[in-house]
Amino acid sequence: MNKAVGRQHRAGRLFIYGCLLLVAVYYLVPLFVMIMTSLKPLDEIRTGSLLGLPLNPTLEAWRVAWGSACTGVSCEGLKGYFWNSVFMVVPAVVISTMIGAFNGYVLTQWRFRGSDVLFGALLLGCFIPFQVVLLPMARTLGFLGISGSVAGLVFVHVIYGVAFTTLFFRNFYVNIPRELTNAARIDGAGFWLIFFRIVLPLSPPIIVVSVIWQFTQIWNDFLFGVVYSAGNQQPITVALNNLVNTSTGVKQYNVDMAAAIIAALPTLVVYVVSGKYFVRGLTAGSVKG
Amino acid sequence: MHALKIENVYKSFGDTEVLKGINVAIEPGQFLILVGPSGCGKSTLLNIIAGLEAATSGHIYIGEREVTNLSPKDRDIAMVFQSYALYPNMSVRKNISFGLEIRKVPKAEQRETVQRVATMLQIEDLLDRKPSQLSGGQRQRVAMGRALARDPSIFLFDEPLSNLDAKLRVEMRAEMKELHQRIQSTVVYVTHDQIEAMTLGDLIAVMKDGIIQQFGPPQVIYNAPKNMFVAGFLGSPSMNFIPAVVEQTESGLGAFLEGGAGRIFIPLVHCTQALKAWVGKAVVLGIRPEQITHAPEHEGRIQIGVCRINRVELTGPDALVTTCLNKTDVIARVQPSSLCQVGETMALGFDTSMIVAFDPATEEAIV
Ligand SMILES: Nc1ncnc2c1ncn2[C@@H]1O[C@H](COP(=O)(O)OP(=O)(O)OP(=O)(O)O)[C@@H](O)[C@H]1O
Ligand SMILES: [Mg+2]
Repeated sequence: MNKAVGRQHRAGRLFIYGCLLLVAVYYLVPLFVMIMTSLKPLDEIRTGSLLGLPLNPTLEAWRVAWGSACTGVSCEGLKGYFWNSVFMVVPAVVISTMIGAFNGYVLTQWRFRGSDVLFGALLLGCFIPFQVVLLPMARTLGFLGISGSVAGLVFVHVIYGVAFTTLFFRNFYVNIPRELTNAARIDGAGFWLIFFRIVLPLSPPIIVVSVIWQFTQIWNDFLFGVVYSAGNQQPITVALNNLVNTSTGVKQYNVDMAAAIIAALPTLVVYVVSGKYFVRGLTAGSVKG
Repeated sequence: MHALKIENVYKSFGDTEVLKGINVAIEPGQFLILVGPSGCGKSTLLNIIAGLEAATSGHIYIGEREVTNLSPKDRDIAMVFQSYALYPNMSVRKNISFGLEIRKVPKAEQRETVQRVATMLQIEDLLDRKPSQLSGGQRQRVAMGRALARDPSIFLFDEPLSNLDAKLRVEMRAEMKELHQRIQSTVVYVTHDQIEAMTLGDLIAVMKDGIIQQFGPPQVIYNAPKNMFVAGFLGSPSMNFIPAVVEQTESGLGAFLEGGAGRIFIPLVHCTQALKAWVGKAVVLGIRPEQITHAPEHEGRIQIGVCRINRVELTGPDALVTTCLNKTDVIARVQPSSLCQVGETMALGFDTSMIVAFDPATEEAIV
C-alpha cells in the first residue's frame, strides 16, 4: 500500500520534472543557438549545422557588433546606442518609480476628497495604447523643445510609466495599516518624514517590482524610440533593427546574433539579480505582515 | 483646572452621525475609561482627542489650552494603538526613541530615556530586536514604552490589551494599574472589556450609539446605573431584569415575585418618593446575580424564597443557578457547596438593598 503510494508519487514527480525540462529546453534552445552562432566565424555558419558547437570559437562578431557594425549610414556599432538606452532607462525608471511611490503614498495614507476618482483616472492610463498618444506627445515634446533627444524619451517613458508604478505602489501601500502612520503623526513626524522614515523602508519588495517592470518596458520599447528620437540619439532597440536591416553584401548572422544578445543582456541581468524579489514583491500584498 | 475637557463634540462621517454631543471632563492623574459595545464611537472619540480625526463641531481642551485645531504632534499626547503599530523597520530601541529624535531631544538624553523606560517595562533584553521578533505581550510593552518615553500630559490607549490571550491580559492589566499608580499620569483608556473598565478606571464613561449613557466612578455606575443599558453592560453575568408590579403594603413599598414555592416579597427601600407614583404599575426590577445567593444565616435586608432550579453552571469559585421568577429567567450566584440538583428547589436569599427599579417604557432608572 505504502509502496504503491510512494511509486505513484515518484511517477508524478517524474512527470512534473519532465514537463518542466521540456519547457525549459523549448525556451533555452533559441538562446543557445544565438550564443553559438555569435561565436562562430561566418563560413562555419554557412557550412555547419545550426545547433553544432563552434569549432573555432571567436569573439570577433561581438567586437564588430559593439564597435564597428553599420547601423544605417554610420558604422560605429551598437556602443553609442547602448549608452543612449542606459541614459534613457536609468533616469526614466528612477523618476517614474519615485513618482509612483509618492502617488501611492498620498492615495492611501492621505486620502482626500476625490482621491479614488483620481486613482481611477490614473488606472485608465494603463490601458491607453502607445499609438493613441503618438501624435499629441510629439507636439508636446516639440513644445518643450526636447523632441528627438534622449531627454524627450525619458519624458515620454516617465509619463507613460507613472500609471503603472502608481498602481503598484498604491496596491502595496493599501496594506500598510493606518495606525502605523497615525503613530508616527503622534510621534511628531510630518508628511515627508513619514514617507521617508516609515513608508519607504517598507517598500523594497514593491520598488523591485516597479524597477524590473519599468526597466524591461523602457529598455525593450521600440515604438517610442523610433518615433521620438533621431540619428545618434536612438535607443539600442532601434539601432539593432537598423543593424540587422542594413545589408552590405553577405548577411552577417554572427554579428546580428551578438548584437541581439547585447541588446537583451541588461534586462536579463536585472532579472537574474532581482528576480526572486520580483516574485516576492508581487505576492507581498497577499500576506499580512 | 481640568486635565482634559471635551465639550459638545459631534462627529459625522458623511451622513452617519457617530458622536452626538460628548461632554467629559477629568482631573489631572485620573484614569478615564471609555467603554461600550463595538461601533459605539469609542475609537472615534479617542482619535478626536488625539487630533487624528477632526470633530465636526465641539471643543477639546488639554490642560489650559484649547487644542481643537492643533495637529497631533502639538497636543502633548502619547497613544498606544490596538495593533501596537510598531514601526516594523526599526529596532525596539529606535521605536522608543523615534518620537524623541523627531522632537530633537539630545542624543544622550534619548539614550537615558530609552534605558529608563526599558527598565521600567523590563524590556532591556529586547532593545536590539525588530518588532517581528517579539511576542504579542512584548510588542504590547514596547508600544507602552514608546508612549512612556515622551512623558506627555495625557496618555491615550485604544484597547491595548485586546490582542493578548486571557492570562497575559490579566497580568498586563495589573501592571497597567501599578504603572498608573506609580507615574500618576492622566489616562484615557478605551476598552469593551467590562472587567478592565471596573478594575482600572477612576471614572467610567459608558457609551452607546455615540452618546455617553453614564459618567462616574465605577462603583456608582455599578450600583446605581442610570438605565437598563448601563445596568446590563457592566457586570458578568449581567444584571437580572424582572418585570414586577409595585404594591403598597403595610411594611412599605414592595413587589412580589412569583414562580418559587410561594410569593417572594421584595421590599423597595430606595427612591420611595419616586416609586410612590408607580404603585399599581409595572416596573422592571434590576438585581445582580451576586445579590441572590444561597439562603444566609444572618438577617438584615435579606428575603428568603424557595425557588425551583432549572439550570446549574459551575464557574469555579461559585456556581450560577437559573430559576424562573415572574416568567423571567433569573440567575443567582451561590456557593457550590450549597448546590442542589436541577429540578429541585433551594432556598435563595435576596439582598434587596441594592435593587434598582426601571421604567419599562424608557428603560431609565426610577429615582
Ligand atoms: N472613516 C470612517 N468612515 C465612515 N464611518 C466610520 C469611519 N470610522 C468609523 N466609522 C463608523 O463610526 C462608528 C464608530 O466607530 P469606532 O471605530 O469609533 O467604534 P468603536 O467604538 O471603537 O468600536 P470597536 O469597539 O469595534 O473598536 C462605526 O459605526 C464605524 O462604522
Ligand atoms: Mg475601536
